Amino acid sequence: MSEFTAPEVAKENIYWATIKNSRGLLITILLLAILPFIIALVDGQPFSELLSNDPGQSKFYQALMIEIFILAVYAISYDLIFGITGMISFGHAMFFGVGAYVTGIMFKSFGWSLLPTIGLVILAGIVNALIFGIVLPRVKGITWALVTLGIAEVFFIVIQSRELVDFAGAEIGLQGVTPPEYLNPVTERLRFYYLAMIFMILVYIFYKRFVNSPTGRVCIANRENENRAIMLGYNTFWYKLTALIISSVTAGLAGALHAIFHPIIRPDIAGLSFTIAALLMVLIGGVGTLSGALIGAATFRLLSFGLDRYLGGSSQIIIGIVYVGIVLYLPFGIVGTWNQRSVRRKEGREQLLRMFTGSKEKKQDENEE
Amino acid sequence: MNKISQWFRKNRTLIITLLVLTIVYLLALRGLEPKDQVLTTLRGFSMGAIIFIVAAGFSLIFGLMDVLNLAHGTLFMIGAYIGWTIIVRPDTAVDAITPIALLIAGFALLPLMDVLIERLNIPEKAARIWPWVGLILVIAILGYLLPKYPVTTWDVGSYESSPINYAFAAGQGTLVAPEPELFQGVSPVVGLGGILLGSFIAGATLAGFAHYRRYSRKEAKVIIDQGLPHTAIWISIITALIGIIFYFFNDPLSDFLLDLNNAWLFLIAILVSFVSIAGIGALMEVLLVRPLYATPIYNLLMTLGVSAIGIEFVRTIWGNPAFTMPRPSLFAGTGEGCPAESLADILANKCSTISILGGRIRTYNDVFVIIVGLFILITVWILLQRTRLGMIIRAGVQDSEMVEALSINVRRVFTLVFALGVGLAAMGGVIAAPSMGLSTNMGQVLLINALIALAIGGLTSYPGAAVGALIVGMLQQFIVKYGQIGIPLPFMEEAFKPTPPLVPASTVLLMVIILLIMPQGLFGRKE
Amino acid sequence: MDNLLEVRDIHTFISQFHILEGVSVRVPRGKIVTLLGRNGAGKTTTLKSILGLTPPSQGQVIFDGQDILGQRSFNIAALGIGYVPEHRAIFRDLSVGENLKIAERKKGDLDRKADIIFDLFPDLKRLLHLGGDHLSGGQQQMLAIARALVPDNKLLLIDEPTEGLAPVLIEQMMEAIRQLSSETTVLLVEQNFIVATHLAEDYVIIEEGQSVKEGKIADLINDQETIHRYLEAA
Repeated sequence: MSEFTAPEVAKENIYWATIKNSRGLLITILLLAILPFIIALVDGQPFSELLSNDPGQSKFYQALMIEIFILAVYAISYDLIFGITGMISFGHAMFFGVGAYVTGIMFKSFGWSLLPTIGLVILAGIVNALIFGIVLPRVKGITWALVTLGIAEVFFIVIQSRELVDFAGAEIGLQGVTPPEYLNPVTERLRFYYLAMIFMILVYIFYKRFVNSPTGRVCIANRENENRAIMLGYNTFWYKLTALIISSVTAGLAGALHAIFHPIIRPDIAGLSFTIAALLMVLIGGVGTLSGALIGAATFRLLSFGLDRYLGGSSQIIIGIVYVGIVLYLPFGIVGTWNQRSVRRKEGREQLLRMFTGSKEKKQDENEE
Repeated sequence: MNKISQWFRKNRTLIITLLVLTIVYLLALRGLEPKDQVLTTLRGFSMGAIIFIVAAGFSLIFGLMDVLNLAHGTLFMIGAYIGWTIIVRPDTAVDAITPIALLIAGFALLPLMDVLIERLNIPEKAARIWPWVGLILVIAILGYLLPKYPVTTWDVGSYESSPINYAFAAGQGTLVAPEPELFQGVSPVVGLGGILLGSFIAGATLAGFAHYRRYSRKEAKVIIDQGLPHTAIWISIITALIGIIFYFFNDPLSDFLLDLNNAWLFLIAILVSFVSIAGIGALMEVLLVRPLYATPIYNLLMTLGVSAIGIEFVRTIWGNPAFTMPRPSLFAGTGEGCPAESLADILANKCSTISILGGRIRTYNDVFVIIVGLFILITVWILLQRTRLGMIIRAGVQDSEMVEALSINVRRVFTLVFALGVGLAAMGGVIAAPSMGLSTNMGQVLLINALIALAIGGLTSYPGAAVGALIVGMLQQFIVKYGQIGIPLPFMEEAFKPTPPLVPASTVLLMVIILLIMPQGLFGRKE
Repeated sequence: MDNLLEVRDIHTFISQFHILEGVSVRVPRGKIVTLLGRNGAGKTTTLKSILGLTPPSQGQVIFDGQDILGQRSFNIAALGIGYVPEHRAIFRDLSVGENLKIAERKKGDLDRKADIIFDLFPDLKRLLHLGGDHLSGGQQQMLAIARALVPDNKLLLIDEPTEGLAPVLIEQMMEAIRQLSSETTVLLVEQNFIVATHLAEDYVIIEEGQSVKEGKIADLINDQETIHRYLEAA
């Protein structure tokens, strides 16, 4: 009998373990899913109005959350190449910008429908990664960062050029993009909210799996010590390129969502400042932690929302100061510091245990001091 | 003989690349009319000179300290704005001296506070808390008093008193400075004394934070020099005195500067800009860069943040729109005898243009800037090759630890080089402003060009910075020129006209090609 | 006993790694002491810790009667400690003359010492204007030692002076070190056991970041057990 039941129990354990390990994720999903309803409840808006997308507090905060979801995907895609693979790119905003502009231009000037546009965005993302990767076999580190900066800056200037004003709208930005009716961010906001949320969660799960896959592990090895990874027989170029492609495509898709959601696509989203925003989000959350990127994006957006609201014009300076402060005093970010502390908490417990079992070591230290 | 052939073999790629570039240049020249050949080349040199001024400091800092100072462009821009203020609105600049000097007086006492705090032996808990109290106090005092300090500025909101309008008036020589303001709400004694007090507390607070950091970090023992830092005390006293004296001689000085010939003002602007940005640079190195030397990547992120703060700072003070800066009067003459035909003409009439081969060369943009660039090139070269400081810098680029082991205070050299590097950029900003105009993104644009130039030339190589800057400047100007006249291509009906977006694109493309051939750049050292 | 340098039980961390876990070294005035031990035992870190390049977190370093632990490296060096790093770390971008000049602590140091230096290393005199990157390995090593001789140093810390040199050059280098030790005290790190035994009088063995044994070289040569245990390749 036991032969039959044994695997059964094990299986159950696996399920239970999976649920237990990802309970944080599950709770987050649940909270995000009911968030619009909670806001409506607090605000006293009936659910029927909420479901028919009537204006109200809930709708307003849905928009903020959608922006956070999009930024989170953008940030996590940056974390993959910066935090996981260890490459510094100064051109990440271009990945996002390409997605947004391809979507906008295809919708507006060519009247494409959603699916082929998404296909093109993915294709453009791959091409984009290949452009960034062209010098990767020979150029590393800072020099590569400069190359990405240069390429992205060219894209930034091109989309603002007068020659392409009919397509990209020059420095004002791309206006008049009509999204498909079933995804209209104004009339179908709740649907858009769930779409963006599911998209973010899928991306997060995919990234988590990627990082834990053999390929992802080589990427981490590349970050820790590229020469050692090469000596172990890995051609790090292909792994770096893979990470770049994944990152570029996801950032491009986030850009596409951005293009559908916002009435105007501003060229700022392809500029250096938007890359810095990605860096900032990853840094706030914790470099190389993936979940940190999501938390960082939320913190970043809420922080700048709050500061904008209460301080107005000088909010950017405060954000800059916060950023410098984080770099100086909190280099591991929220999630990184949390993880570190939990290690330290564990150590503290062990130390406490040691104090009861034998306190010789401790005393010796004191004497020396 | 053998050595020469060996040298050739060693530098084969470099020689071929430079040869190809020269041929491309000559081919590009062939397509132009004689006057355009001269003009475009000069413009290329001029652009290259400005890029070089930024790139040189950047590459020195990167080479010596491994710090990719992405705030370099922003400091270049702030330098330009400071220079603009001195040339167009000297009265504002004079007004600003007092509060700034008083602030410096407090911060300069930082080393003294360090020593005092170290002597006081504050218990750990108190050492942890009191700097925060000090910080709140500082924010309260300075936050209350500094906005009240009467600085006569411009108003971004209204056209009449916008920077754009003032700049235009200054260029025409019709500038009328607004009436100076007075302290409002507080008496001058309270105002000045309060600011001084606030800055002293600020210095103490910073020292307190640094002290606690040392205290809490147990890995390495650090001994603070127990002697009193006399220089710091003197600097503090002198700056405080300067601040107070300037408060009382504000009006005569403003009037004097307003009447001064703007060529002199230009010189003053360059000097002030250099000194103030060098000071900011020194402060930045000590407070922000130094704690992060162990982790260069965080230093890079930090400078990015500083850059963003700087841009926003300029935006709040000078406003967002771009404006111009009048040329020094030596290069602004347009009257009788202009455009000049000969050298004597230029000197006699201070012409803004010279006519050569039927084209007009602007004396400031196309001649003066190049001369300044060459001057800086040679000065820095002499500094690097012929002085002890230069020797230490060149040695430190390779191995700063060993330099320290030779009983040289490398940290002080780091601070000095950082200050000089960004000061140089600020100077470049003032020099570039009359030809480029002022805008909040001028620094970023130039920094990117400088980075491309350095990637082409080799990141830490001084000749590389010069050659890279020249290549980038030339390429851009030639593309701009061909954008006007078009390139006749054999397989196309119409001439191909490179559009403006192709200007930056072409330099990036060149950079990518050169990096594929020589990953270390033209003059970079192979590791 | 008159010790010029006394290192007492220093501990050094490099980032979070505990590299030195209690090293004690005594260097009597006027003698050559050599640090022995396997690769990665912590010999180079010991030298760097003395100079403060990798500052120790605890212990004592007493030089000439003064506790120097915790001071900045340039201050420590200024007390009269010369450092010859491993891998012949001269400045490649500087000419031979500049490499010597940069080591001056006071103006005129080089002029005063020129005779002694060029007496020891006659090769350097004719290479004065050559760039550091054009020197051969042996010449670089000579320059690295010469550089430490320019100022008045009471103590020289020399790290692997014969590493990777041809036998002829090794002899020359040994001769040079022997000559200069009549003037100054030397703390030497040497992988080549034969060279070390010929030069030094005292030894300290470092094993896994700890000083485990010290004594006279003359005794060590006959102490096969110690040699086997600490010095032969594992």
